[in-house]
Amino acid sequence: MSVFTDIQFSTQLQKVTFCKYLLILDNKRISLTFPQLLQLRYKVKEHTTCVNLEQTINNHNFVLLPIADRQHLVFLEIPKLLDLKEELECYFYSF
Amino acid sequence: MKTAIRKQMTIHPEVMDVLNEQVALEMHASASYLAMASWCDQRDLVNSKAFFYKQAEEEREHGMKIFNFINDAGGAAVSPAIPIVNNEFESLQAIYETSLDQEIQVTQSIYKCFKQARKVDDFASEVFLQWFVNEQVEEEDTVRSILGVFELMGDMPLKMIDERLPTE
Repeated sequence: MSVFTDIQFSTQLQKVTFCKYLLILDNKRISLTFPQLLQLRYKVKEHTTCVNLEQTINNHNFVLLPIADRQHLVFLEIPKLLDLKEELECYFYSF
Repeated sequence: MKTAIRKQMTIHPEVMDVLNEQVALEMHASASYLAMASWCDQRDLVNSKAFFYKQAEEEREHGMKIFNFINDAGGAAVSPAIPIVNNEFESLQAIYETSLDQEIQVTQSIYKCFKQARKVDDFASEVFLQWFVNEQVEEEDTVRSILGVFELMGDMPLKMIDERLPTE
């Protein structure tokens, strides 16, 4: 039994082809082009600045995020949003 | 993973972020100069209004230069939101003093981008930013020279001072 292959992460980003990426959020699978991935990174970064995060926590405690040129709309509670931020940061970390 | 992102973009993601912030700052400076130009235009201060209209255009050009660079290097340039711009000033000298503060702020921000590019070994961005480093020396010097004129002619009528200000 391989421990690592058995782990299923709820938020995952995978490269499919040279220009295609796949974002897995729980059961949702979203296909992204590279510009769409950059746009997602920017939006998540904006939502998770200290000021914006505090504002979200004090108001609704969730964000509605349009993804992939508004083809998908995802509902993210704060832990999920931070999870996505981590995943994106890891993906861009070793540039 | 490393190759995946690198194959798509030349610019380092962290440099892209600070450059996008720089675009916003340049565009805000442009809008701010436009407010200064309008104040001078309404008071028929011919040289000052020409100076600030030109500054407004220049700052926008700087912003666009960075904007295009980000996209050319495979990144994603973001069209910035412009925060509220001050349209009220107490005097012409106060306008030029604000202008110098603004230029210093832009210079510091350019240094921040430069440092970031150097930190992550993004040589293309570092070379690109060198032009801005030199440009800011010139920009600051121009405004300092004008403030020098105010030191000499502080008590003279406003229009007389305006006529003595350098036009280029």
